Amino acid sequence: MAELTAFHFRPGTSLLHTLDVRFKILSFVLISISSFKAYPSALSVLTLVIFYAILISCLPFKSILKELRYFFVLLVFIFIVRAMFTSASPVVDFKESAVAWQGIYDGALICWRLLIVVLFGLIFVSTTRPSDIRTAVEWFLMPFPFIPGKRVATMMSLIMRFVPLILDQARETIDAQRSRGVENRKNPVYRLIKLIIPLMIRTFKKADKLAVAMEARCYSEKRTNKALLSAKSDWITLFGVICLSILLSIIDT
Amino acid sequence: MNIIEVTNLSHRFSDGTIGIEGITLSIQEGEFVVIAGRNGSGKTTFLRHLNGLLLPDTGAVRLGGVSVSRDIPRARQMVGMVFQDADSQIVGETVFDDVAFGPENLCLNECEVKRRVIKSLEVVDLIDIADQRPHLLSGGEKRRLAVAGILAMEPRILVFDEPFSDLDYPGVRQLLHQTLLLHKAGHTILIATHDLEKVIAHADRLLIISDGKVVMDNAPEMIIKDVEAFGVREPCASRLGMEIESWLN
Ligand SMILES: Nc1ncnc2c1ncn2[C@@H]1O[C@H](COP(=O)(O)OP(=O)(O)O)[C@@H](O)[C@H]1O
Ligand SMILES: [Mg+2]
Repeated sequence: MAELTAFHFRPGTSLLHTLDVRFKILSFVLISISSFKAYPSALSVLTLVIFYAILISCLPFKSILKELRYFFVLLVFIFIVRAMFTSASPVVDFKESAVAWQGIYDGALICWRLLIVVLFGLIFVSTTRPSDIRTAVEWFLMPFPFIPGKRVATMMSLIMRFVPLILDQARETIDAQRSRGVENRKNPVYRLIKLIIPLMIRTFKKADKLAVAMEARCYSEKRTNKALLSAKSDWITLFGVICLSILLSIIDT
Repeated sequence: MNIIEVTNLSHRFSDGTIGIEGITLSIQEGEFVVIAGRNGSGKTTFLRHLNGLLLPDTGAVRLGGVSVSRDIPRARQMVGMVFQDADSQIVGETVFDDVAFGPENLCLNECEVKRRVIKSLEVVDLIDIADQRPHLLSGGEKRRLAVAGILAMEPRILVFDEPFSDLDYPGVRQLLHQTLLLHKAGHTILIATHDLEKVIAHADRLLIISDGKVVMDNAPEMIIKDVEAFGVREPCASRLGMEIESWLN
């Protein structure tokens, strides 16, 4: 299940690795918002920014792109659907080619935006320690007295930990059932139920064991607080990103 | 000095199954004890009383003179427990974070957490992959990660529940080697197993549990010939009348 795990931390010492997580999260949110309403000129600028970020982050980008190959299949799919869907609207014959172009343009635009957000997300996740993300989430939740920040952060990290386990488990269960000829049953509902129930049981058992193991290691919500430190470079980066977002919203109007 | 004192310990599960019954024993600081018995004999149930994961129906466990149920956090810090299923005791998203989980729960400051994590990872020889994601590790590495996770809490007693199940030969040797180093460094070691072969050469003491009761408790060479009556296989060498050799040679 390596395909789903391209999003993980890769250790390094670049500028992006050393920025304060809170600033990285804010910048990421700002850039995502601007790219969702961006048009080609703004998207070109963002693409350049991505190239720059990739360069300074020193990530092994070739291998990362390989891990993302299923995402590209998804993009192509979205593009085709989008292009066909738009051209399917009832139009007069001689205008048909123009409308088809409109569909292709729409599809390309959406794919471009998605690609940019995903790549920024990838750069963010690749250069940030999961424990730092957790600390930042806690920090952002602090102003809300009714949300237990520590618990949310722990849950987040457990989910990240459990997803690969559940996927492995699912594959194992599927293989075990295949070797006993489950493919002879043509009813997909039957097969789904036969997969889901044992999978759930095993996952709950694992969760139970995990809870005991956490208890044995003194888990409580009163834990070491990690300090987050912001430096001048963080503020400069954030300032730069804000300027960029304003610029991007101006370019396209 | 007795670091563990168990008096008349019994535990019955809510469905009426008897887990353990009337166990009384004491273990000295620095001892290396192997607890053997067939599946379902009560080894896990017994071990879980040592750090308060289960609480006794009757009797008590005392660690260094203090009852476990009176101060459970202390018991959990003092008794580090490595479970049978290494996969489901990993909490962190990276090797480093997982080891840091325990010390963070003890509310140590960040520097101390870091110091302990690095020290523990060095002991189990995983320091080079501190940033790796745990689910990519091999079975042996996962087990060693679990050991590092409890070492970081600086326990005096290390408890292993079936540590050698599903480990390959090099994995067993490496874990055994590190366990012996920890024993030499002064830790008290308890290992539960149904397979004496791999570890008995190093034990000071062998406990046989059957149906929730301690039925034998002696130096291994004294009772090794009689263990098969209780569903534990006598090691090959012993059957052949030879001295049992360590798996490390
Ligand atoms: N949570 C539980 N509820 C009911 N019975 C249990 C529970 N856990 C263990 N048992 C029973 O207690 C007995 C001892 O189990 P255990 O201590 O796990 O044995 P061992 O570790 O030696 O294989 C077994 O008969 C088992 O079925
Ligand atoms: Mg057991």
